[in-house]
Amino acid sequence: MAVSVAQRLSAAGTANALELRGVTRMFGALVALTDVSLTVRPGERRAVLGSNGAGKTTLFNCITGDFLPTSGTIRLFGEDVTEFPAYERIRRGLRRTYQISLLFNGLSVLDNIYLACRGVSRGRFSLIRPRRNEALMHSAEQLATAVHLIDVRDTKVAELSYGQQRQLEIALALAGAPRFILFDEPAAGLSPTERRELIEILTNLPAHIGYIIIEHDMDVALRVSESVTMMHNGRIFKEGRPSEIESDPEVQELYLGGGHG
Amino acid sequence: MASTDQLTSRVDASGKPHKRAELYGPANIPWVYWVLGFILLLMPVVASNFVLFQIFGWAFILGMVALSLMFLGGYGGMVSLVQMSVAGLAAYMVAVFGHSGVVQISLGWPWWLTVPVALAIATLFGTITGALAVRTAGIYTIMITLAIATAFFYFVRQNYGVFNGFNGFNQVLPPQLFGVDWRQPVPIYYLTLFFATLAYFVVIYVARTPFGLALQGVRDNPRRMAALGFNVTAHRIAAYAFASFIAAVAGVLLVWLNAQISPGTVAVGPAIDILVIAVIGGIRHPIGPFIGALIFVVLRTFALDVLVLVGIPGERFQLLVGLAFLAIVFWSPDGILGLWPRFRDRMRAASSLTAERDRRL
Amino acid sequence: MRSFINRQPIWSLIIFIVLAFFVWAIFAAWPPGFEDVFGKKKVFLNAFFNGITLGALYFLVASGFTLIFGLMKNVNLAHGSLYMLGGYIGYGVAVTTRWGLLSFVVALLLLGLLGLVLPGGVVPRLGGEDLRPKPVTIGISIVLADLMLWIWGGNFYQILAPEWLSGPVKLPLVTALKSNGEAVYLTYPIVRLVIFLGAVVVGVLMWLALNRTRVGMLIRAGVDDRDMLSATGVRIQRVFVLVFAFGAGLAGIAGVVGGTFQSMAPGEDTRFLLASLVVVIVGGMGSIPGAAVGALIIGLAEQFGSVYFPTYAVVLTFLIMVVVLAFRPQGLFGRTR
Repeated sequence: MAVSVAQRLSAAGTANALELRGVTRMFGALVALTDVSLTVRPGERRAVLGSNGAGKTTLFNCITGDFLPTSGTIRLFGEDVTEFPAYERIRRGLRRTYQISLLFNGLSVLDNIYLACRGVSRGRFSLIRPRRNEALMHSAEQLATAVHLIDVRDTKVAELSYGQQRQLEIALALAGAPRFILFDEPAAGLSPTERRELIEILTNLPAHIGYIIIEHDMDVALRVSESVTMMHNGRIFKEGRPSEIESDPEVQELYLGGGHG
Repeated sequence: MASTDQLTSRVDASGKPHKRAELYGPANIPWVYWVLGFILLLMPVVASNFVLFQIFGWAFILGMVALSLMFLGGYGGMVSLVQMSVAGLAAYMVAVFGHSGVVQISLGWPWWLTVPVALAIATLFGTITGALAVRTAGIYTIMITLAIATAFFYFVRQNYGVFNGFNGFNQVLPPQLFGVDWRQPVPIYYLTLFFATLAYFVVIYVARTPFGLALQGVRDNPRRMAALGFNVTAHRIAAYAFASFIAAVAGVLLVWLNAQISPGTVAVGPAIDILVIAVIGGIRHPIGPFIGALIFVVLRTFALDVLVLVGIPGERFQLLVGLAFLAIVFWSPDGILGLWPRFRDRMRAASSLTAERDRRL
Repeated sequence: MRSFINRQPIWSLIIFIVLAFFVWAIFAAWPPGFEDVFGKKKVFLNAFFNGITLGALYFLVASGFTLIFGLMKNVNLAHGSLYMLGGYIGYGVAVTTRWGLLSFVVALLLLGLLGLVLPGGVVPRLGGEDLRPKPVTIGISIVLADLMLWIWGGNFYQILAPEWLSGPVKLPLVTALKSNGEAVYLTYPIVRLVIFLGAVVVGVLMWLALNRTRVGMLIRAGVDDRDMLSATGVRIQRVFVLVFAFGAGLAGIAGVVGGTFQSMAPGEDTRFLLASLVVVIVGGMGSIPGAAVGALIIGLAEQFGSVYFPTYAVVLTFLIMVVVLAFRPQGLFGRTR
């Protein structure tokens, strides 16, 4: 961690970046989330861990706005966004990556990033074709460079390697001016080199951008986060610093016994 | 000129443009367009008045309506059967606000007032239909639009106050502009050709604008688009507005070509025929609807003779169309376009958006 | 139902008031001033009964449509043509064999068979792009419509109800009071009442089949989540074909019914396709109770509309559809995602 927590906090302002209170989500009779309450400060780097079915992705879906919680409230930078549709939350600085890349396969890398930049800026309905030297185009190229994809910017997504697609996922999340990002298993399926690149990208994010990362790879998760939330069966069952969680006997019994998940 | 029309840069790291190994003519437009343009512009020299009027006039107009369906279906992923109703409403409004043989209803406004009003009303109708149709899952769209189209048909057939019921309107003529009688075969051929071409190029251009790209993104992955900050519903409704405008223009041309409008034009059969046309021609590229329209109109005109030749009663045109349609759907789901190998490969390589990007058009 | 009343107290109250009004209007003798406003009670009662019997017919057609739509996510645009074909076949059978009830059996069998065959062309191509499945049923509807026009022409055909079903029956409902105080009772054709009862029986049987049998459970699961259904290892193709055949057979029976108390002619296919569309939009996709309620509402709306607002009956139906779309787009009984 290059920058201390205190420095991050002062860089970011005072309202909580994300605040969940009593969030419950049911699918018919299946209860996916029960009374989840969570507070993340601006600039904070949090990891959410838990076995499959613990409710982590459902939690993300609730925060993004894919569906409304059955009960509870969600606040983003102090604003109650519980009833807001997804695009309103995104326009307030929230971003998301997906476990399985959700990209536009027929488009080039640059087109994907350009779309992401468009989504959070004006002119979404523009009927004018963009010019090469347009500001948004520059931003898109900068982003492509930041995730090491500038050399393949004109390649169609369908022709990219898996690792490159995952990098593009991250680039999409960095478009515009993100304030808080949800990373859903960004390290899944990556080679050791790619994993190192990922850790580098995450730790070098600007101080004011906070994030929550869902990960099964403990190595990555504990290295890029400063606090950890453990979930089990749709509930939060432990929170603390990475070192605390790693050495906690209950956690070890449930998850870490015998190596990494 | 090639690079500025692209959405993203076509130059590599050293700044040199990528070369495309195809035949490009002057100004980098593929030769096919030059040849086609040449043929179409000079058609009146070789074609009879009948062909100009009944075949090409109709093909351009039906092609435009089918183009509006293709825009919604191909780029938006929404199959709408209300496009013919939108065109029909524009046609009716031209008759109601302008001059016609039904003097007790027509207001007799000048054409430069009538046409914009008709276009506005029809586009509004199409947009409201879109607003009703897009808030549900995609498969509902075809049902809702068909229901609205059918209800519209029954309504205009029964309403005598505005739509003159069964009879409709006759003697609706285009204005005499620049001393030309626009309803003569040659002028109306060029008029419909002009608007069809304009509509075609506008659709091609819009497909690669932020609006068009966003629409295709919404088609391919609405969840992702929402998570990128796009208001998916608003984009779909906007697409309906855009497509409805194209259909409305076609509707104005339709009533001028026909000099009349009646409920039969907006019945369920014609509404479905537009979908048939779009599917037969190919819904992947804007040229498809026009190909389909030409085939449809030719079939319609000459079916009688063909059927009689084969020994089937000549009125069985619909049967012929239905069978041709099924044949196309089974053997080449992308329509006639899908039969052309170059198109097929292009479309296979790029599932959606980059069909246009390899060639600018 | 209790949860509905809890969640939507205002709507529950409105529905209750409307129902109470109808019950009173039907069973009570109307006070003198009432008739001046609403017209004769006999007319009202006739419209009401015509409405529910028409609704019964719409239910028969729409329930097959909604099952196919709900399960296969495929809008069967040939449904109206299947209905009409059933009616024509029923007519043919009734005329040649003079045994009316045989019409039902034959129509059911033939249409059911057709329904088994057709999906062979439709089903394997499902799961592809959204556009592909629907055009096939359009093509089929065009071909069928023209074939039927060729064979049967543009005439109106009416299936005559068998002897023991024709004629009116007296219902214990008072339409008016004669000057000497004697009550005049409503008479109504038996055949229509029988049809209504028949539709109710069919509806109940279908509901039982869907909710109490294993196949029914599979179908309901498929309507909710098709991928989940195929994940259970069930041969999803078989279920589809079964549902399609059943829907087609049902449409065929409906055709015989329609041919009996209305008539068959070109254009009926469009009319019943539209009716199915509207009923499913109003009632909700894939829901049998939704189809029943939607059919009832649309049937009543159409009949009352044609009696009290003759020029714009279709507008009333259309308005109901638009209102439902605007305020509850998934239909009255449909599920939100």
